[in-house]
Parts: sequence; structure tokens; C-alpha cells
Amino acid sequence: MARLMRSSATTLATGYVLLGILALVLFALPLGYAWRAADNDVRLQILAEDSQRLAEVFNRKGPAGLVNFINERVGLQIAGERILLLTDVDQKPLAGNVPGWPAGVPAEPGSYTTPIELDHHPTMVTLVRTELPGGYHLLVGRDVARLAPVMTRFWYGLTAAIAVLLVSGVVGGILIRRALLSRIHSIRETVSAIMHGELSHRLPTGSGSDELNTLSVTINRMLEQIEQLVHGVANVSNAIAHDLRTPLTELRSRLEELSLTRPAPPEAFAEIEAAVADVDRVISIFNALLRMAEIDTGMRRSGFVDVNLGELCAHAVEFYVPAAEIKDITLTYKDQAGSLHASGDQLLLAQAVNNLIDNALKYTPPGGAVTVCTVRPDEDAAAMVVTDTGPGMTAAQQVRATERFFRGDASRGTPGVGLGLSLVQAVARLHGGTLEFADQHPGLAATISFPRKS
Amino acid sequence: MKMLLVEDNERVTRFVTKGLQEAGHTADHADNGRDGLFLAASERYDVIIMDRMLPGNIDGLSLITALRQSGNQTPILILSALADVDERIKGLRAGGDDYLTKPFAFGELLARLDALGRRTRQDGTATTLEVADLKMDLLSRKVLRGTRQILLQPREFKLLEYLMRHAGQVVTRTMLLENVWDYHFDPQTNVVDVHISKLRQKIEPEPERSLLRTVRNAGYMLSAQ
Repeated sequence: MARLMRSSATTLATGYVLLGILALVLFALPLGYAWRAADNDVRLQILAEDSQRLAEVFNRKGPAGLVNFINERVGLQIAGERILLLTDVDQKPLAGNVPGWPAGVPAEPGSYTTPIELDHHPTMVTLVRTELPGGYHLLVGRDVARLAPVMTRFWYGLTAAIAVLLVSGVVGGILIRRALLSRIHSIRETVSAIMHGELSHRLPTGSGSDELNTLSVTINRMLEQIEQLVHGVANVSNAIAHDLRTPLTELRSRLEELSLTRPAPPEAFAEIEAAVADVDRVISIFNALLRMAEIDTGMRRSGFVDVNLGELCAHAVEFYVPAAEIKDITLTYKDQAGSLHASGDQLLLAQAVNNLIDNALKYTPPGGAVTVCTVRPDEDAAAMVVTDTGPGMTAAQQVRATERFFRGDASRGTPGVGLGLSLVQAVARLHGGTLEFADQHPGLAATISFPRKS
Repeated sequence: MKMLLVEDNERVTRFVTKGLQEAGHTADHADNGRDGLFLAASERYDVIIMDRMLPGNIDGLSLITALRQSGNQTPILILSALADVDERIKGLRAGGDDYLTKPFAFGELLARLDALGRRTRQDGTATTLEVADLKMDLLSRKVLRGTRQILLQPREFKLLEYLMRHAGQVVTRTMLLENVWDYHFDPQTNVVDVHISKLRQKIEPEPERSLLRTVRNAGYMLSAQ
């Protein structure tokens, strides 16, 4: 029970039920009052009309005529619940259904709602007292208490309404609470599973678009990102361990051998230089990884400027043309977008295109061609495409290509640490875009596309 | 050249000072910001090599800012383990003239120091550059080897201009990437070497009269002998 009270759904439901009752009462009270007042007015008016009619009878036929008329009405029971009394100057009854002049009737003629003595009981009545010519007194009234059941029924109705509200509120609250709790419970279970390291779990989501569902979808997206990051970190750690271990092992054995064998200077120097080269390789891997980490944090978005992509690609092509010529590869730039500008990081975009060109040159056989294009997929997007005539990539390779340290079979024996494409992808991601590969049969098209205003 | 090294790591200090002495320079040393500021303000140096993270209250950047505010224009090379592009920009904004990240190759450091020290003494208004019989006219953009005119692409012209401006000095691949191509990153390729060998073919039709030499483990040097 205590748990039930603590639940936010219960609190909410209780609050709403109480609020509903309060609103109902606040609504009913003035309504009841207004109804009573209006009822009273109407009744007084009817009584006033009635006494006027009796007065007319008196005027036409005199006291005896009125006595007859009243007696006739009382005899016919027309008077009903009404008080009807005609007295002479001394308030001695002449006709009517009240035995004597009741105590408590106000002294002046007029309309009243007042308690009087009837059959020795104080009774609430509405009353019209009229003075007829010749000192006769006429009383026409009605017992208000006879109307009480109507009022009581009104209050019964109100109570019933409150009861219905209470029941439906409580039942509704319990139902809402159960629905909410079951969803929250499943969220909690998923989250605690994730906390225990099972990152693949996702919150259950329905097709609806209610707040809880929207929240679940958002949280799922966040989980996806986290899972990707965690896997990324794990992959990177593995890859670093693997890729750094090789040069570090070489370095270690080289140095150890050097200190053990103490060879003659020329040989020793050659070994030392090789050791420095090993260290340089380790450093360059480190730098590439750090740079990627820097890009992945997204911190560099603040430094975005307007970049002329055409110029950037042309520049990169110009840089690589001599290297391409040596391999007998035709490297060209094609502007298919007309002055294509985008907001981005000049340096990183340049590095991304350079990496793609470098990669394309690495895989393209002599006599082939590498083409760099700037294209405008639509008005708000920009893309840079590097196409080669190399062996292309299988679908599986395309998926793995951007993994850190992945190197295609064809690249064995060529220099590089296998970080180029992951850097390109990191740059694309930083710009809110993607790196995509497409097989050209033969050759490969690598496309970096991103929104121009990111 | 007379240089000041502000660096708190002993091994790096020994490595750098020894290397500088062997290269024919003299080097003073301070291992904290206060001494560094005192030396830099009281002596005249050709170049200052400055670590960023120093013990004591004064770090490298505030030291540079203080020097620049007092009107000291000595070229400063920042030597730091902080490698982010943002950190580099911060260093250069504070008044540094060049930025080299640790770990570094001594050849790279020496080449950059040479370039910085030379810059102060260079006549910036020259319109012609000359190394032996290689002449470059910066206004008409003509290049002559002896009497024969050499036709160069715009980028080749820029490359040769940079080499000629630093004639007699070692110029590293990174320096060329940064200054000729404006690429402040490591493209992990030997493309610079390819550009150099192409340029060499153009300016050196006879290999025996070579001007552009490859300096092992460092870079290139254009010189008369």
C-alpha cells in the first residue's frame, strides 16, 4: 500500500480525483443556490397572482362571495398544499384550510418567506398577505418543506456524481499506474541489463508517438551511439595493441640485441637508425589515432568556415599528380558542381580527400585512372567523389574498409598503417555526412557527402 | 646562432643543447618559466625554443605573451606535447612563430630553428633570388639556370621559391607541406619527394652540377656547392 501511495501515477490520479470533486462541488453550490432563489421567486409570483384573483372575487361579489369561492376551492382540494385563509378585522377565520391565524405572520401586507406556526409546528412557508377593503385579511401561502424532497434529490445526485468520479478516478488511476509501471519496469530491466554490460539491449518501443515512446526511441538512439563508441574503443584498443606491438617488439629486440652483442660502430649505427625508424612508425600511428579521437569528439565543429570544395579538390589533385604520373595513372579533377562551397573544416576536408586519393592511387594498377569530382547531390548537400579503376571492393570489404587498421589484401607490402579511411569517415561524420563506397565494375567510387550548412 | 632553450625535461634539454652545439650554435638553458623570462628579457637571442608546460607559476604561453607585450620580437619556436590543432593555434596566437610537437626529430627542430633565425636577418624586399647560377625573378616569375630559362608550374615555382629563400638551410618535408601546400597534416606519403625529384629534373639538366641535395633523415637543402 505504501508503495502504491508512493507511485507517481497514484499521486497524480488521487490529485485529479480530488480536484474533480472540488470542481464539482464548487459548480453545484452556486447552481443549487441560484435554482432555489429562482424557484422561490416564481412561487411568490404565483402566490401573488393567486391572491390578486381572490381579491378580484372579493371586489366583485363581496366577502360572502369570496368565502363561498374559497370554501368551494378547499372543498375541491384545489388549494392542495397551499395555505389559504380569509379572516375578518379581528383575524377570526371566515374561510380557508387553516384553523386560526398562525403565529409569526408579519404584520404588514406583502410577500414573505418566513417560518410560522402551523398545527403547532414551526414551518417554513412562502406567504402573501393582502389587506382587503373593509379590514379583511387574506393569506395565501405554500409550505416550502413540501419542496424539500426535490432539493434532497439534487444533493443525492451530486453525491452520486462525486461517487462516480471517485470510483472512475481510482480505477483509472490504478489502470494508468499499471500500464505505466509495466513500461517503466521493462525500461528499468533493460537499463540494468545494459549496466551489467549487455550493450545490445534496447528499450521496447511501440508504434505510438506518446511521450514515453518518443523518450524510449531517443534513449535507444543514445544507446546505439554508446554501443558504437564502446565497440569503437574496444576495437581501437585491440588494434592499437596489435599494431603497436609489432614495431615495439622489433624495437625491443633490436635494442636488446644491440646491448647484448655490442657490435662494431657501423653496424651499431645502422641498428640504431632502424630503431629510430621503428619509433617514428609508432609515433605516426599514435598521431593518427589521436587526431581521429580529436575529430570524433566533435570539438572542431566550432572552427567551421566556408570552404571552396572545388578548389580544395583541385589542389589535392595537383599535389598527387606527380606521384600518379610515376605509377602511370591519369589523375584528374572534374568539376561537376560549379563553384561548390560548404561550411566545414578546411584542413580536415583536405586531409580526407588526400587520403581518398592516396588510397585510390595505392590500389589502381599502372595505366589506370583516378578521377576526383565535386558534385551537388541536391541544393543543400555537397559531395566529393574519388573514382578509380582498381580492383574495387567486395561488399564485405566495403563494410570493413573504415574499420581502424583494416587493410585490403592488395595493400600488403605498401606503406601505411590502415587508418586512412577511418579518418575520412570520422571527418565525414564530423560534418554530419557519410563516407560511402560503390563498386564500379571495375574500380571503386568513394563518396564523402555532407550537408552544406552543417 | 645564439639560442635560448626553456625546457624542464633534463633528457630533452641535453639532447637539444648537444645537438645545437654540434650544429655550431650556442644555447642557454632555463628549466622554469621565471628564469626563462629573465634570460629572454636580459639577453639577446636569435631564436627562443619554448616548452609549454613548465614548473612554477609561469607557463610557456604566458611567458611568450609577456615577452611580446614588452616589445620583444625574438622568434619563438614552441616545443610541446600538446598536439591538437586548437593548441597549436593557441600557441601561435599567443605570439609563437612556429610550433613543433613532441616527440620530434632533431633534424626537424634544427631546420625550423634555422628558418626562424634566418628570417630576422633576411631582406624581405628582394625581388630576385640567386643560388649559384640559378636565378629567380619574383616579379616577372622567370627562372634562369645560367642563361637557359626554366618553365615551372605555379606550385613548382612556389616550391623552388621556398627552397631558394632558405638556401643553405635544411628544409624538411613537413616544412614544405606546411609552407608550399598549406597542408598542416601528415599525408603519410612520399609525394613531397616526388615533387622534389620532378623539380630537380627541371633545374638540374646536368646531374653533376647539382644544387638541390637530399639530407638524410632530415629533408632537402638547396645550396651553391
